[in-house]
Amino acid sequence: MPHKIIVAVQKSDFDLNSEMETLKLKTEKAGAVVFFVGKVRDLEDDNLKYLEIESFEEFAKSQIKEICDDAADKWDLEYILVKHRFGRLKINDNIVLVITSSKHRKNAYEASEFIMEYLKSNVPFWKKEVADKTQKWVENF
Amino acid sequence: MGKVRLKYFSRIRETIGKTSELVEIKSKNIEELIEELQSMGEQYSVLQGRDFIVYSAVDQNMVTDVKTSIEGATEIAFFPPMTGG
Repeated sequence: MPHKIIVAVQKSDFDLNSEMETLKLKTEKAGAVVFFVGKVRDLEDDNLKYLEIESFEEFAKSQIKEICDDAADKWDLEYILVKHRFGRLKINDNIVLVITSSKHRKNAYEASEFIMEYLKSNVPFWKKEVADKTQKWVENF
Repeated sequence: MGKVRLKYFSRIRETIGKTSELVEIKSKNIEELIEELQSMGEQYSVLQGRDFIVYSAVDQNMVTDVKTSIEGATEIAFFPPMTGG
C-alpha cells in the first residue's frame, strides 16, 4: 500500500513544483515519480473561447478515490495524487494532475495510465467546448 | 416511495432546465422512475436515452441495471457519458 493517497476535485489550479516538494517529504523510498498533466487544447477547426467542466463533486471524489485504491492494490506504489479541476478554463490551463510514485519506474508509469484511462469515462465530469462558431459537449471515443 | 432529490448534469440538465429538484415519486426502480417523470413534461423524454446513453446513480452508487430498487433512496442523479481527464 502507498504511504499516501491524495484526491481533490477543485476549481483552483495546482502547482507542479510544490506538489513535487510535498511528495519528496513523503516518499524517501521511491526512486520514480510520474507526473501526468492534462491541459486545455485549442480545437482543430474552430477557436476555443473556453472549456467548461461540470462536475458532480462529491461523487467524482469518491470515484477517483476508488480507482486510486484499485491502483494501490495492483501496483507497489509509495504515493498517488489526483487533482481534477472544474469550472471555466482557457487554452493551456491545467485540467488534471495525476502523480504516481514507486521504487522503480514501471509501477509508476503503469499506474498513471491506469488511473487516467479510468478518469476519461468513469468519473462524473463533463466538458463543454465553447468556441467562436460552435459550442458542444465533448464525447469520449 | 416518498420524496427524492433528483439531480441532472450536462446535456440532461440543459434539456430539463434544472440542476435538481425534490420530487414525490411512486416508482420502485430507475426504469419506472424514467417512465413516471415523463408525465411531468416533454423535456423529461431526454431520460429515455434516444440520443445518448443516460447513466444514473442512486445515493452516489452507479446504477448498472435499471431494475435496481430505488426504495429508500434520497438522491438520484441522471447524466450522459462522462468525459473527464
